[in-house]
Amino acid sequence: MTHAFLIVVRILLVVLIGYWGYRLWTGMTSWTSRGVAAVFVGALAWQVIGGGL
Amino acid sequence: MRGFMTLLWLEYRRSRVWGVALIGSLAFWAWGLNQVNVRDIAEQLGIRAVLLGIAAALGGLVLSFMIGRIRSETRQGQYQILLLTPPAGYVHVAVRYVFALVVAVPYFTGIGGLVWWIVGQTGLSLDAGTVAQLVLVCPLYAIGALLIPLLSWTLLLMIFVSAYRISGSGWIPGTVMVLGSPFVLRWYSDWLIHISYTLPGWRLFEGVRALIASTTWGAEIDTSGVTALVLPQEPLWGMFLLAVVMLVIAGRIWQEVEG
Repeated sequence: MTHAFLIVVRILLVVLIGYWGYRLWTGMTSWTSRGVAAVFVGALAWQVIGGGL
Repeated sequence: MRGFMTLLWLEYRRSRVWGVALIGSLAFWAWGLNQVNVRDIAEQLGIRAVLLGIAAALGGLVLSFMIGRIRSETRQGQYQILLLTPPAGYVHVAVRYVFALVVAVPYFTGIGGLVWWIVGQTGLSLDAGTVAQLVLVCPLYAIGALLIPLLSWTLLLMIFVSAYRISGSGWIPGTVMVLGSPFVLRWYSDWLIHISYTLPGWRLFEGVRALIASTTWGAEIDTSGVTALVLPQEPLWGMFLLAVVMLVIAGRIWQEVEG
């Protein structure tokens, strides 16, 4: 039960972070801003997927 | 160059109260240190070291707020000196940084001076080399390894957030950067710790043990644990490099959004 719950929470977190990434990618024409956003979104997603969070 | 000097003058006009208040706060901390009248020397030094640690942390915080005041200023339209002649983003970033460092260096070397003062009150007479290490080397190392990257990060955060203002992304850019930064910093600092002492370390306070032993209270305590401090070079250069990269990125974002 707990394990399944954590999997659902992680999937929801990845969806949320993916949505943030989409908003940041489409909200700016500056490639440097997109790059910065990609680094931090990637770090957060990696932590969620890799189990750091 | 003229644009740089004009913006530096503007930055001085805008932030001089912050700078003067911060450097003036050293008098308050000196007064606070003087109020510590505990007889036990180790305890006295401990309390005073905590007070100076708080002073250093507050200094970093105040400087971060000072350098990060971009949102309100962009709304007031202060960046345009003359119509259609906005200075380059890199110049804005450099000016803010130079002014913050001009305030930070006397503040943190002042804290080093206060450390020298409280050490002197214990009856320990330091030689010129040790005083220079205490008042100059240690504060400048702390500025290079901690404060410079902190100010760069603050500047990048504020410019990154401000750049997204027109797209209505709201709190998303700030949240993503604030939440993601600790992880990126941890990976980077793990790597810096891994490569530390690859280059020769800087040996500081080598003669302090003999100086402590020569005092009346030093003769009564065990000084075998007092050894020279060996500072690794890599964290300083690594964090300095990180700070420069963040500043260049901040300037580049400014150019791409405004240029």
